[in-house]
Amino acid sequence: MAEVSLSNVKKDFGAISIIKGIDLEIKDGEFCVFVGPSGCGKSTLLRMIAGLEDITQGALRIGGRDMTKIGPSDRGVAMVFQSYALYPHMTVAENIGFGLRMTGHDKAEIAKRTTAAAKMLQLEPLLDRKPGQLSGGQRQRVAIGRAIVRNPEVFLFDEPLSNLDASLRVQMRGEISRLHQDLGATMIYVTHDQVEAMTMADKIVVLSAGRIEQVGSPLELYHRPKNLFVAGFIGSPKMNFIPVEARPHNGGIEVTLPGGTLLQLAGTLAAAGKMTLGLRPEHATATGAGDAVLPTKVQLAEHLGSETLFFVSLADGSEIAVKADGLAPQRPGGAMQIGFPARACHLFDAAGNAVLNGDLTR
Amino acid sequence: MFPTPIQKASGPTRLAYQIALPIALVIWLFPLIGVAVTSLRPASDLAAGNYFGVPSSIAFENYAAVFRDSPIGWYILNSFKVTIPTVIGAVGLSCLTGFALAVYGFRANLWVFFAFVAGNFIPFQILMVPVRDLTLKAGLYDSTLGLVLFHVAFQTGFCTLFMRNFIKGMPFALIESARVEGVSEWQIFRHIVLPLMRPAIAALSVLVFTFVWNDYFWATVLVQGQHAMPVTAGLYALNGQWVAAWHLVSAGSIVAALPPVLMFFLMQRHFIAGLTLGATKG
Amino acid sequence: MPTNSQPAGFWKRNQMKIAPYVFLAPGALMFLIYVLIPIVQSIWISFQDWDGLGPKTWVGLANYVELLDDDTFYVALKNNLLWLGLYLLAIPMGLAAALFLNQNVWGIRLYKSLFFFPFVISQVVVGLMFTWFYAPDFGLFSQAIKWLTGSEVAILADERYVTYGIIAAGLWPQTAYCMILYLTGLNNLNAEQIEAARMDNARGWRLLRHVILPQLAPATFIAMVVTVIGALRSFDLVSIMTAGGPYGSSQVLSYFMYEQALSEYGYRMGYGAAIAVVLFLIMMVFITLFIVRMIAQERNR
Ligand SMILES: Nc1ncnc2c1ncn2[C@@H]1O[C@H](COP(=O)(O)OP(=O)(O)OP(=O)(O)O)[C@@H](O)[C@H]1O
Ligand SMILES: [Mg+2]
Repeated sequence: MAEVSLSNVKKDFGAISIIKGIDLEIKDGEFCVFVGPSGCGKSTLLRMIAGLEDITQGALRIGGRDMTKIGPSDRGVAMVFQSYALYPHMTVAENIGFGLRMTGHDKAEIAKRTTAAAKMLQLEPLLDRKPGQLSGGQRQRVAIGRAIVRNPEVFLFDEPLSNLDASLRVQMRGEISRLHQDLGATMIYVTHDQVEAMTMADKIVVLSAGRIEQVGSPLELYHRPKNLFVAGFIGSPKMNFIPVEARPHNGGIEVTLPGGTLLQLAGTLAAAGKMTLGLRPEHATATGAGDAVLPTKVQLAEHLGSETLFFVSLADGSEIAVKADGLAPQRPGGAMQIGFPARACHLFDAAGNAVLNGDLTR
Repeated sequence: MFPTPIQKASGPTRLAYQIALPIALVIWLFPLIGVAVTSLRPASDLAAGNYFGVPSSIAFENYAAVFRDSPIGWYILNSFKVTIPTVIGAVGLSCLTGFALAVYGFRANLWVFFAFVAGNFIPFQILMVPVRDLTLKAGLYDSTLGLVLFHVAFQTGFCTLFMRNFIKGMPFALIESARVEGVSEWQIFRHIVLPLMRPAIAALSVLVFTFVWNDYFWATVLVQGQHAMPVTAGLYALNGQWVAAWHLVSAGSIVAALPPVLMFFLMQRHFIAGLTLGATKG
Repeated sequence: MPTNSQPAGFWKRNQMKIAPYVFLAPGALMFLIYVLIPIVQSIWISFQDWDGLGPKTWVGLANYVELLDDDTFYVALKNNLLWLGLYLLAIPMGLAAALFLNQNVWGIRLYKSLFFFPFVISQVVVGLMFTWFYAPDFGLFSQAIKWLTGSEVAILADERYVTYGIIAAGLWPQTAYCMILYLTGLNNLNAEQIEAARMDNARGWRLLRHVILPQLAPATFIAMVVTVIGALRSFDLVSIMTAGGPYGSSQVLSYFMYEQALSEYGYRMGYGAAIAVVLFLIMMVFITLFIVRMIAQERNR
């Protein structure tokens, strides 16, 4: 059993506080992804779990054991680095077996495990090559192989795919997911690619400036973002934010959209005020169908073939994105009636916290 | 590329450049060529005042005479006895110190590093009296070991600067990755960092060899008698004996200069890599 | 997997803290014994009267006071400044040589190596070469002077020229050193920046001044460092070529110190140490400048 639990974990570099108190439970066998903008502390947090950075304050437990002050080698974790960190002077086989050799495993055991790992990762024909003679994807696999042979209870990945080109990334994504299913180990995976996060994770942890913004399954975060930050971070293209006036009305909420259009939302509101309406581009229509209809002007159209992404301006000049069919006829400069269902609207108060989530799964 | 490649220049300019190259080289190396020619000139030429002309014969016997009539062979042996252990000692120690300073963020790190760096720059004279005294008291005065110990200590400063920067240039993830795998610090040094330091070790070995071979000051301060005297100090002593025997002085000079010159030609790439350390990065 | 035996456990838990000191210890100890402690001892000895064998007598500042009254000291100091000033010529000369050789023609690698040659040779040999070169009657240089001016000069025997003659000998290897630094620098120039400058119509001197030289700044810095140190360390050539003569006119502090402390003039260790301290203080000015720059660089990493 290797659940990972962090309680009130903090990290300071000198006087600067980088990780500002993290409480997190990762279950045994779970695939947990850390996402967040660059510099928010994802790598630092991962390295603290690995034991490569000291934990300034708080406690870390892995598999029930307190690991706060234990060195990296005794935590039962394996880490795959962004740069792969393959030893350039060793062959693939030596790279994979190095850790075992240094920790006193016997030759036969090393050979057995190396072969098994190589087989799992289709590295068998490459075992005698040096890292310099491998492609990016192959190096990536060697790095993973080096982690696998040690039978760790927890795998740590720091942006392992960011040095690969797009198609290889898709392929490796699948391989890592498959590996997770096969091994059943706990995996913690850092990325700032939200497609990776959405497709691979059991649980996503959204970080910002050293704090957790929200923890949840991919769909939970997509449908029920707790605040503006998560709403804006998860989903591509980004959620639109429209400034509105909102007030309680007839046991529901009434919002005034730019241009004066009124929209009734289900839900309750304590007091009236300026708020932000969140609407995903894929939930707006370019045909004017929906509970609210707004006249807009097309500023820019990005034709992706299967779909077209329109950037349109509202009455107050603010711009929003609308995802439409690839055959939608509107052109930049022209007018467009957009519509959207009230069910899809999110509402955030002045502090940025969600008052209402337009959860379409409900 | 600067200046503009000569291939792009007009024909006459190109020709002029091709002619200027050897001429400049001859002028630049004039003292050397002069000495080399003199070393092959028979003594009779010098006596007859033929200093510049074509030698009347090629006198390899000058070299034979130098080895036969003077202890220069012994001096050269001494130089090797000083230089080779120093290279091994200084490069070996600095692999360790360089690793310590590059990989660990302990508190005194930068200060220790700057002490090593600053130590490189100090004038030898500030060390002379105490080091001579120390060597005397240790009973190592007038021995090659006395010279070796000092050179190892001093060269470790320069080598540490070099090694530390070299290791800093390696991806740190290599070390972290090994740490996560449970590899001990010594094993990391031995199996990961040391094999990757080979170019630095080669560069430093050639450099230290040259520096120590060419040392003259300490050879005169820590050695008095013939039996431990390196070739630089020996050559100076011989120069006093061979007054006006320029053919012998020249031959002796060439002999003394040869080992580092050979070293340089054999390991040129490493030599220059060592010398220009940091000359290209900001 | 985890070992429970106490010593191994202790090592394992604390190796990150202990390892740096273990790795550092042998080299640092040697350096301490042979370099750092002797500096302090020298300063201490400079306040003593000592012949190197008998007991030391504390004389306070007497050695320094005597130094201020010593004519040779002023000659040596003046010559050191001369060395420092003229030695810096190695930098532009090395740059010029590097620019001359930075072409891609047949055999250029060999030319570069041969131009670098003087640096590889021991200063003792360089000194002997130039002594021969300057020798009156048959030295090539003297012959050339005679042919040009009709009168003969014995450079190394003439108080007016002797120091210049030795410095010229020193400039020979030093220029080669600077040249190789600049050649490496030129090799690593940012080609796009130069092309951009050429598109802007910068060429020749202006290109050199505004685009190339700034990119060569690191090479220039190292050239400065090694040249200043070389100038202040000038011992070998003086010892070989003139032993400070004639009449002490080519003295420099390093040789003067050696002569006072160790030669036939007597074993005046205290006085020698005082001279060394002065030389050390001069050097300290430069060391401090270098280190300050290095610290700035480390911070910017
Ligand atoms: N050793 C260190 N000393 C001081 N500050 C550091 C150190 N390591 C990281 N930081 C700072 O901590 C913050 C978080 O860094 P971290 O590498 O964890 O970010 P990240 O979320 O992984 O970003 P990215 O997506 O760019 O990899 C950054 O502002 C960084 O500058
Ligand atoms: Mg990161």
